Amino acid sequence: MLTEPTADGSVELAENPPCIECGLCREVCPLFAVLRQEHLSPRGLALLAEREVASVVFYQCTLCRACKEVCPVGHDPDGERVRARLVARGVETEANRAMIENIRKYGNPFGPLKEGEIPKTLTCC
Amino acid sequence: MSASPSANVEPLAGIVGAENVSTALEARIACSRDASGLEGECLAVVWPSHPEHVPAVVEWALQEGVDLVPRGAGTGLCGGATPQRSVVVDLSRLTRIGPLDREGRRIEVEAGVVLGALNRRLAPQGLFLPVIPGSHRAATVGGMIATDAAGLRAVRYGTLRDWVEEVTLVDGLGRVHRLRGDALSSAVGREGVTGFVVKAVLKLASLPTRRTVSLIAFDDEEALLIQRDRWLQDPQLTALEYLNRHAAGALGWEARPHLLVEFDSDRGDIHDPERIAALWRARDGLYPVLARRGHPVIEDPRLEGEALQELLRWLDAEGIPAFGHLGVGIVHPCFRDGDGRIPALYERVAAWGGRVSGEHGIGLKKKGWVDAAFRAEIQQLKEKYDPKGVLNRGKLC
Repeated sequence: MLTEPTADGSVELAENPPCIECGLCREVCPLFAVLRQEHLSPRGLALLAEREVASVVFYQCTLCRACKEVCPVGHDPDGERVRARLVARGVETEANRAMIENIRKYGNPFGPLKEGEIPKTLTCC
Repeated sequence: MSASPSANVEPLAGIVGAENVSTALEARIACSRDASGLEGECLAVVWPSHPEHVPAVVEWALQEGVDLVPRGAGTGLCGGATPQRSVVVDLSRLTRIGPLDREGRRIEVEAGVVLGALNRRLAPQGLFLPVIPGSHRAATVGGMIATDAAGLRAVRYGTLRDWVEEVTLVDGLGRVHRLRGDALSSAVGREGVTGFVVKAVLKLASLPTRRTVSLIAFDDEEALLIQRDRWLQDPQLTALEYLNRHAAGALGWEARPHLLVEFDSDRGDIHDPERIAALWRARDGLYPVLARRGHPVIEDPRLEGEALQELLRWLDAEGIPAFGHLGVGIVHPCFRDGDGRIPALYERVAAWGGRVSGEHGIGLKKKGWVDAAFRAEIQQLKEKYDPKGVLNRGKLC
């Protein structure tokens, strides 16, 4: 499974209950709200993860975990871990590859600053 | 699942758009099963974005010689949406809601409209579609019509059959029918074997303005059924839900048989809206709790009278957790995977004169338990609406 403990032997302390395929997550998923395709729904992605389908569709999940909030058994899609395994297998989108490279090289997912450019900051008030 | 499906789907792209048809492994795996866990092979998935696409998809299937499986939210529990080397037609994108006829209390919706979303839209108008299955937050109107959904308030509001005024059905020859009155029985509860429900005109009810509940524990099922019959006389009763002692214990309640009853009057003991909401949340969460405790296989027999009492006694004695919409005689026993007592349950229900499916449908899972009269009725409908056998092959019988 793409969500099983890692090869380095680390073990998840918290149990992740398996998806029971009820589909209640579909209607809270922001990705499904737009595309309305089962394989991009949390339930669909859980099934693909369980089947070890190494696919770039996992990069479309927004990692918001709204699905976990409504899940009757509290299944966690664990998107970060799934992606980490995909990267280890060389299954990656170009955008993800560039982002990681930029962070490693420049500490900035968008790449180096241009001459005179100052880092953008997020403010809330 | 094979990596290279055999259906030639190129013409479909010309009908629904290239982005709305897929033979990708991801799409085929995701649509290879529904909430029943029954799995089959999906050759391709099509997502019509207009009801008008559907007749052309059927014509393509006739030419290609493949069969089609209608799919709503995939929340069905009997494999009604499971493909068997079929092309899945996912109607999730048919989500238009027509203008509300406030005075006539009716509204036209497309098949992929989700019940929860529809009722949120209607609430400010003081209206709702009152058939509320457990999957109401995800279930689509099309799927609910196909299975004649019932649910928590069936004792007051009946099943979806009672709330459909008109269905637009695309049959197995690509013909479009607008069914009303008695003709609705060709589509409602037929699980997609006569056609695709693409649109429907639904009747609506007024939202109750008052709601109270009572939660009562009983010494045994006999006492519980006596009280049930008394409450059924109350015209303000809106729900009458049962939990046997094994199910109540799983929720952390006292391990005795319980009834949770709701009235749209002051008759119930509990008036605090927050407490009422908490009780319904617990009830809604019961099946997931049982599934997580190792009882994921949920059945839905429907019985009345002595037979109902016999069933409840048997489930209790066998230690099988069960709950259900006892106001209409539907019980949901929950089993472990492969439990040998499931066929015994069906045999008992058939011998007692009950129905093996009160609300989940027949699909693939229960087709071995339908009687000859039902089989003959379905075959007659197939000859009329799907003579080439393109629609939901192998379901129902």
